[in-house]
Amino acid sequence: MSFAIATTLDQALAAIADGARPIAGGSDLVVGARHGKAPLPESLVAIDRIAELAEIKAGGDVTRIGAVVNHARLMTDPTVVGNYTALADAAALVGSPATRNVGTLGGNIMNGSPAMDTGAPLVVMGAQVELQSTGGTRTLSIAHLWDAPGSNTAAAGELCTAVLLPPPGDRCGSAYVRLEYRRAMEIAVVGAAAAVVLDEAGAIVNARVALAAVAPTIIEVDGIEDLVAGRALDDDGRAAVADAASSQASPISDMRASDAYRRHTVGVMARRALDAAVRRALGEEIAVPVNRALGIGAA
Amino acid sequence: MTPPVSTPVLSEPIDPAALPRFDRADGPDKVTGSGRYTADLTLTGMLHAAFVYAEHSHARLLSVDTSVARSMPGVMSVLTADDVPDVRYTHGTADRRLFAKDAVRYDGDVVAAVAATTLEKARAAADAVVVEYEPLPTVTDLEAALADGSPLVHPEWQSYDAADGVERSGNVASFSSIAKGDAHAAMADAEHVVSGRYVADASHATPIEPRGVVAQWEGGKVTIWSSTQVPFAARAGVCQTLELPTNKVRVIVPHLGGGFGGKCGFHYEAHVAALAQAAGRPVRLVFTRREEFLAPDRRREGMIVDLTTGLRSDGTIVARTAKVLLDGGAYMADGEFFPQMAAMHVAGPYKMDHCHIEASLVYTNRQPSGSVRAPTAPQGCWAVETHTDELAAALDMDPVAFRKLNAVDEGDEGCVGQIYNKIGLQDCIDAAVAAVTPEGDLGEHESIGVAIGWWPSFPGASGAIVRLDDDGQGQIVTGAQENGTGSVMTLRQLAADELGLAPQDFQIVYQDTAAAPFDGGSSGSQTLINNGRAVVAAAGRVADQLKELAAAELEASVDDIVLADGAAHVAGTPTKSVTIAELAAAAGGGALLVASGSEDPPEYPELDTEGGRIACIGDQGVAGWAGPQFSCHAVHVRVDPDTGVVRVLNIGAAHDSGTIINPLAALGQIEGGIMMGIGQALTEITHYDEAGNQLNAGLLEYKLQTAADTPNVKVVFIEPGADGVGPRGAKGLAEAPNVATAAAINNAITKVIGTPVRSLPMTAERVWAASMGVDEGSQP
Ligand SMILES: Cc1cc2nc3c(=O)[nH]c(=O)nc-3n(C[C@H](O)[C@H](O)[C@H](O)COP(=O)(O)OP(=O)(O)OC[C@H]3O[C@@H](n4cnc5c(N)ncnc54)[C@H](O)[C@@H]3O)c2cc1C
Repeated sequence: MSFAIATTLDQALAAIADGARPIAGGSDLVVGARHGKAPLPESLVAIDRIAELAEIKAGGDVTRIGAVVNHARLMTDPTVVGNYTALADAAALVGSPATRNVGTLGGNIMNGSPAMDTGAPLVVMGAQVELQSTGGTRTLSIAHLWDAPGSNTAAAGELCTAVLLPPPGDRCGSAYVRLEYRRAMEIAVVGAAAAVVLDEAGAIVNARVALAAVAPTIIEVDGIEDLVAGRALDDDGRAAVADAASSQASPISDMRASDAYRRHTVGVMARRALDAAVRRALGEEIAVPVNRALGIGAA
Repeated sequence: MTPPVSTPVLSEPIDPAALPRFDRADGPDKVTGSGRYTADLTLTGMLHAAFVYAEHSHARLLSVDTSVARSMPGVMSVLTADDVPDVRYTHGTADRRLFAKDAVRYDGDVVAAVAATTLEKARAAADAVVVEYEPLPTVTDLEAALADGSPLVHPEWQSYDAADGVERSGNVASFSSIAKGDAHAAMADAEHVVSGRYVADASHATPIEPRGVVAQWEGGKVTIWSSTQVPFAARAGVCQTLELPTNKVRVIVPHLGGGFGGKCGFHYEAHVAALAQAAGRPVRLVFTRREEFLAPDRRREGMIVDLTTGLRSDGTIVARTAKVLLDGGAYMADGEFFPQMAAMHVAGPYKMDHCHIEASLVYTNRQPSGSVRAPTAPQGCWAVETHTDELAAALDMDPVAFRKLNAVDEGDEGCVGQIYNKIGLQDCIDAAVAAVTPEGDLGEHESIGVAIGWWPSFPGASGAIVRLDDDGQGQIVTGAQENGTGSVMTLRQLAADELGLAPQDFQIVYQDTAAAPFDGGSSGSQTLINNGRAVVAAAGRVADQLKELAAAELEASVDDIVLADGAAHVAGTPTKSVTIAELAAAAGGGALLVASGSEDPPEYPELDTEGGRIACIGDQGVAGWAGPQFSCHAVHVRVDPDTGVVRVLNIGAAHDSGTIINPLAALGQIEGGIMMGIGQALTEITHYDEAGNQLNAGLLEYKLQTAADTPNVKVVFIEPGADGVGPRGAKGLAEAPNVATAAAINNAITKVIGTPVRSLPMTAERVWAASMGVDEGSQP
């Protein structure tokens, strides 16, 4: 078995072209190996010391978050907290302080767990993923990154170098909430993210909702705009979004929850995420993460 | 004797900052990481052990082929049942062997063990052991297990030796009943009758340190380092199974990383000793987290409780009947007393003239249950105290008033005919409720639930040696075992007070069966009451020796000598004094300052079983309680009605555990017990497949509470000043806080969702289901 530490992107891409597996924080890869999920790969290249992958760059027509930015930074970075708040909500819920200090955004999305916390926020905010290999760079919509639980569509030799987000607009708000049974070291039982754009009167112009842990991958709820656009968020809208989320979910039963309970609670989470996103868009300060501020999940 | 430095107020919610400081002798080691735990030990030439576990939860063992494993490089010994004496052991019933012989009965049964030069080689060799099984039908349903024609977990149970009074039959490993008066007739006459079923799942002790054992032979004697709570019981097990006298087996416990009862009993010490003997090299075994979850006697038993209570319209209880089934798992361990203890908890600390409670510990093809902190109590209390709120509701009575009316007090007779001395239960109820009642209104979806509980103290044999060396510094050599509670650390305070010295003047030599006299170990909340008695006696004898020396030196009468502040002085004349260091220096050249203590433990109360008014079948001696402890927990929760998630916000906990010798350590025990109780109440669920194999044997899916979940806890100690069984009127302490929390939480949840939850733990999904009118009450 071999382990190399890359300090430049080129070194990393060369190692990956040779068949090495990237490792960032290792909090999925190593922990999974210890739990017998899959043995450690024969060849590993550490990417967490590549400075250019650790940058958050805002301004211009895209906000760029490097793949090895960790959750501790995401939950406190002013750009993320101010403009992509749902992502900060999600990062703030990950594991424990130790997990958030080692776990990275790239690792979270590339690991491809349907229960990942940052996935649903990225979907509703229209994120693109930047993939690089020795052959070049491409971007794809994050929704196309996942094809099955624990799997992604990147080609062999491709490294995720950044997540790209559209620039912030006016009267935008987003939020991510998850159902959890305890307040630390938890995995989303179900989760939901919402992002909205309001008009000057507070009516919804644009709304998206995505769900975690209720399907083989993160899924976006179809038809949200038909349910809520054109008016301020009201009880009918909330109920309709909850129903849509519940009915589009295809959850499994496992030790954490039954399918029926997941189906019900993901509707509750969708409703609460949308509600918090709208309140934020209206200028209300709801501290990150919404789960703690509003007492959702293990309140 | 010097009185304690200050007398803090314990009868009002305690401010920890106002408590006297407690310098734990083991603290710096543990917090800086310099302390050594069993897994940290390395000996020259040491090998690593790995076990071969059963591949079926119930199967006949047809053959075990170790030939490939034995020939693998680095493998130094491989053992099966054929390689050790054919001895059946444990406490209540001798129903198990070190290695499975004819059958395997649960997923953690050990079939073979390997020692090799590296852990990887040991594991590879363990994987190479070929075992042939013939699967047998499994027993996992407690009610079906009792039906005629059920497969038996132990078809040959009748041939096993059993302890006195253990009532057995078929899959019933131990049966007990408590009967008083004529419960059935009284029930027929009752004005109101309320029945309910309450089903508790198994939970786990989950110490953070997984079990480790290191064994080394020298000169026909074996030294075993083990992370056990009960070194003397571990030694007894090694002696029994390997057929050795006690003085050839030395068990030493390095620092212990928690136990919570999960490290009680004898377990793997003999396996590792036998491996080391066969290999001629020291051997170390360290469990993975999964193994820690599978190990026997780590599990708090699942329970089905069917309760019926008859009431008068004035709110008094006239009769109670109950049937309790406990999931004992594949082997009975120390569980012979569980049915009687469960019966006591299901009766509860209430006055009643008529009761009939039957309880059975049932063999199943699951992990054996064992004494986890207050065995049977949290589940039994959860059942009976949930039921108690239902009783109050049936009469439209306030549940707190109902408890105050029916709870035992001084001079009252409880379910088994014991008349209680001065006790603090009524005060506990008032204090706990007051501690948690807010000034204003409760928030939306919030409520307060209340439950009371009880737990005995366990007087028992225990010994210690106290000595002062020639510089006046002390050593306490004790058989007692420190599992984190601080009770062994508190022994310094007791010795110091006897001798007029400071706790820091003493070192403790502990956790070594060859160095110190017997102690029952860190089990049954017994350390301070029993070993404290021994230390006080031993230190008192050294004090007498010092006083004789001082009397001669100061030309005074022995009776006038006072030991205080590191010196001996003549009463009334503090200037006429000599330091203890000077006396010790003098003694160092002659009769040394050394004494041992043990003393007879206090007696257990005799129950009045004359004339058949009270009858206990399967009496295991846990119905008449010495030093009974009482508690009330009042819990303020918020329920998310849309998801069933329950958050505990505040807890008021009031305890009568007799005189509190070390308030800061006692407070820590109450807080820790409550956190364990919240986990059992809300998140700690054990999943099994249909054959009884554990599905969530790890900390990812077995959800303990975390620091972030901790509520505000206000603790009050009620010290009624009678009925203690330990030094200064102390009772046991460390198990009592793990009794009433889950029950109080259910009573709070009930107020929010309108119905109790009938399955424990009350997971979010179960709370939600109950609120929707779908309740599981399903079998553990
Ligand atoms: C105790 C604990 C608690 C946790 N709690 C949560 C939680 O609450 N929510 C949650 O979502 N997750 C949680 N996780 C999972 C994990 O911490 C996160 O998914 C984290 O973001 C993973 O990042 P990492 O850098 O550690 O990934 P790694 O383990 O280094 O990598 C994960 C996978 O992604 C690949 N990979 C990593 N970086 C790249 C890249 N840039 N390009 C291509 N492939 C890449 C690796 O090869 C590997 O297959 C928890 C984990 C632990 C151990």
